[in-house]
Amino acid sequence: MAVNSTYHTPAIVTPDKGLKRKLESMWSDPPGRYGWLATTDHKMIGKRYLVTAFVFLILGGLEALGMRLQLAQPNEHLLPPELYNQFFSMHGMTMIFLYSLPILSGFSNYLWPLILGTRDMAFPRLNAFTYWVFLLAGIFLYIGFWEGKGTDVGWFNYVPLASRAYDPDWNVDIYSLGMVFLGISTTAGAVNFIATMFRTRAPGMSISRVPIMIWGTLVANIGILFAVPAVSLDFLLLWLDRRFGTQFFDVSGGGRPLLWQHLFWIFGHPWVYAIVLPAMSIVSQGLPVYCRRPLVAHSAVVLATILTMVLGFGVWVHHMFATGLPPIAMGYFAAASFVIVIPSAVSVFAWVATIWTGRPVFTTAFKFFVAEIVLFVIGGVSGFMTASVPLDLQLTDTYFVVAHIHYVLIGINVFPVVGGIYHWFPKMTGRLMDERLGRWNFWLMFIGFNLGFFPMHISGLEGMPRRIYTYPANMGWGNLNLITTIGSFVFALGVLLFVINVIRSRSRGERASANPWDASTLEWATESPPPSYNFAVIPRVASLHPLWESRLDERSRSTLHEGPVLDDGHQLPGTTPLDAEPDVILDMPSLTLAPLVTALLIAGTFLGLLLTTWWLAGACMLAMIPTLLWWLWPRAEAGWAVDA
Amino acid sequence: MNAAAYEQRTLPRPLPVGQAGRHTPGWWGMLALIGTEASIFAYLIFSYFYLQSQTSQPWPPSGPPSLHLAVPSTVLLLASIATMWWAESRLRLGRMAMVYTGLVLTLLLGVAYVVLQCVDWHLQPFLPSSNAHASLYYAITALHVLHAATAVVMLAAMIWWCALGHIDAQHHTAVTIAALYWYFVVAVWIAVFITLYLMPWIDPH
Repeated sequence: MAVNSTYHTPAIVTPDKGLKRKLESMWSDPPGRYGWLATTDHKMIGKRYLVTAFVFLILGGLEALGMRLQLAQPNEHLLPPELYNQFFSMHGMTMIFLYSLPILSGFSNYLWPLILGTRDMAFPRLNAFTYWVFLLAGIFLYIGFWEGKGTDVGWFNYVPLASRAYDPDWNVDIYSLGMVFLGISTTAGAVNFIATMFRTRAPGMSISRVPIMIWGTLVANIGILFAVPAVSLDFLLLWLDRRFGTQFFDVSGGGRPLLWQHLFWIFGHPWVYAIVLPAMSIVSQGLPVYCRRPLVAHSAVVLATILTMVLGFGVWVHHMFATGLPPIAMGYFAAASFVIVIPSAVSVFAWVATIWTGRPVFTTAFKFFVAEIVLFVIGGVSGFMTASVPLDLQLTDTYFVVAHIHYVLIGINVFPVVGGIYHWFPKMTGRLMDERLGRWNFWLMFIGFNLGFFPMHISGLEGMPRRIYTYPANMGWGNLNLITTIGSFVFALGVLLFVINVIRSRSRGERASANPWDASTLEWATESPPPSYNFAVIPRVASLHPLWESRLDERSRSTLHEGPVLDDGHQLPGTTPLDAEPDVILDMPSLTLAPLVTALLIAGTFLGLLLTTWWLAGACMLAMIPTLLWWLWPRAEAGWAVDA
Repeated sequence: MNAAAYEQRTLPRPLPVGQAGRHTPGWWGMLALIGTEASIFAYLIFSYFYLQSQTSQPWPPSGPPSLHLAVPSTVLLLASIATMWWAESRLRLGRMAMVYTGLVLTLLLGVAYVVLQCVDWHLQPFLPSSNAHASLYYAITALHVLHAATAVVMLAAMIWWCALGHIDAQHHTAVTIAALYWYFVVAVWIAVFITLYLMPWIDPH
């Protein structure tokens, strides 16, 4: 199916059955194992991300429940201290690295091409690759845990405790190499999102017509591009210290333990925004649909999102106030941390104004989005409190900080994610989720969450340190901890109902139309679930709300049912970065095992490094050269000079 | 709206299929990759100056490094920018003989740099485990050599694809993208050279 001419003028048509059948045969994966392993369909990859990340959420949740049982009463003996250490370290690592970003990548992978009105991501094979690397790195990070050698010095893994002298076994080696491994997936994903945003939007979707959901993910991924190298490097240096006796963090050789903390938090704080900004943009995209009006102050929210990320790179030292840095540094970083309140408040006020001036429909998704606003405000206030140096010196390393991080990460990540599933489930499966079960699901999660985590503020103020595996009865923390444990189980019950609802609704849910919520963006312009090619003809976009133009009285109208025929292979238009005018016809690759093989070779490399089996690591690295050549080999359809 | 009006607004001209130089997603992908790779080196150089600022000992502990091999390395890499640029610009004119010459010269300069760096490691009076400065010296230079070796493999692939006829004046995107990566590798070396080799001579420590 080679393209013989270098230039092509696509005909403009209204799609008929014949065109759809042709596109379907071209875009759908063949059945069977090969099609399953070789697929580059962004919808398939997105769903895999969602399911895998949710499995990790459940694993991390079970670890948390184990900890809550141990802490329910003073002087418990359920988990021995060594195992408790692994539980809280694995819990943090799982939730922060294996759940919270990958779940958002799942949404973005599934939704981006649909919202952007195109057929695939800019790099479909890289997309498949990022999923396989994420899956393999996740398994890699868990291999030690099953053998009782899970990482055990906390998710932020401070040296010297994480150095060979104090933690000589494999626990931290697995964590260190696993994090470098996982970083490959995260970074490659970021490259893909950025190129997709700037090169493959539907014609006419100029920069001012890009929906808010795209902005949150884009900004997060630009942040990831510059932040993740810091943590990958940090873990690599630590592994070198542990394995080869280098001196990066060792005081005796001129190294500094604080170097670990600087590099970790230079990454760590932008990462917080990377895992909340896309989730906030899920709220910004979903909430207005249920308020029956556009988001208030769209441009201000976009600018606030960008500003939050920029400022997020300049606040890392607020994690290190208790390490004895010069007062001038602490003053600057405290001030910068306070300033971040401003862009965050812009989003909050925009959401409140949207509800206030809209006509809210109280669906389950709406409730989850509103809960996010409430929890964001509570988590924001406790964050504002710890940004103040003197108060932080009192609160650091207590349960107050544990309460804060959970209000932020569950409040601004888990709640929008669950709401987002309720919102986009009909698009993904063609069926609606059950609203009655949804009510129970929501209230159990919301009440359980607050019952579980609000008392942590108080136990923190009463001086309960984080990471302790038990406490004596005379400290008076028993009742608060019992309430927290009860709350965490109620929350878990809510999550269980959610899982049941998803499984039931997949086969028995009410059939959904193309646009069951009457929403305004392009993913609702195609069928539910979308065909393998997304859009039979590529739409032309004329406003921010292509499906609401008549009711918003927009002056121009998008063209959705008539457009250029691109049916000679996996074609889609490449458009200019700002105006989104078409300037090239791109032919997307599909169905290849190269990404999976490359991911397996990287896994082999890291396994070799972990076991210090150097020949294995070396052989896998060398084998990557022919594999990448196979991956990138010139294809006639993509416009290379190849005799077809 | 009728088809003719639509066409006039969106597709006023025939569109190129597939490759289109900097209009290819690959160009953007390479820019993003360079952004993230540059960050790694920035964080390494940050670590270098951070540890220097925290020490009361001489930095580097074994005195300023020898420039006997580092200066020739720098000259080789700077020369490779010219040969790479030459190859890329001749490609657009379709002068394939010059393209081969430019690519092969660039590749040889890259290999020479890698060899010189390996010799330089052998001549250093310290090992990676000697002290924090030595650890950083080896980490930074080794990471850079790894990048240069990757770029050499890329150039070899470009030469091979030219020979197979996949790359010509109309199909130059791959070389344009590979050249961008090559310039990046050289630019990083300049930063590494100034940090590791020149600063210790300037610094009063």
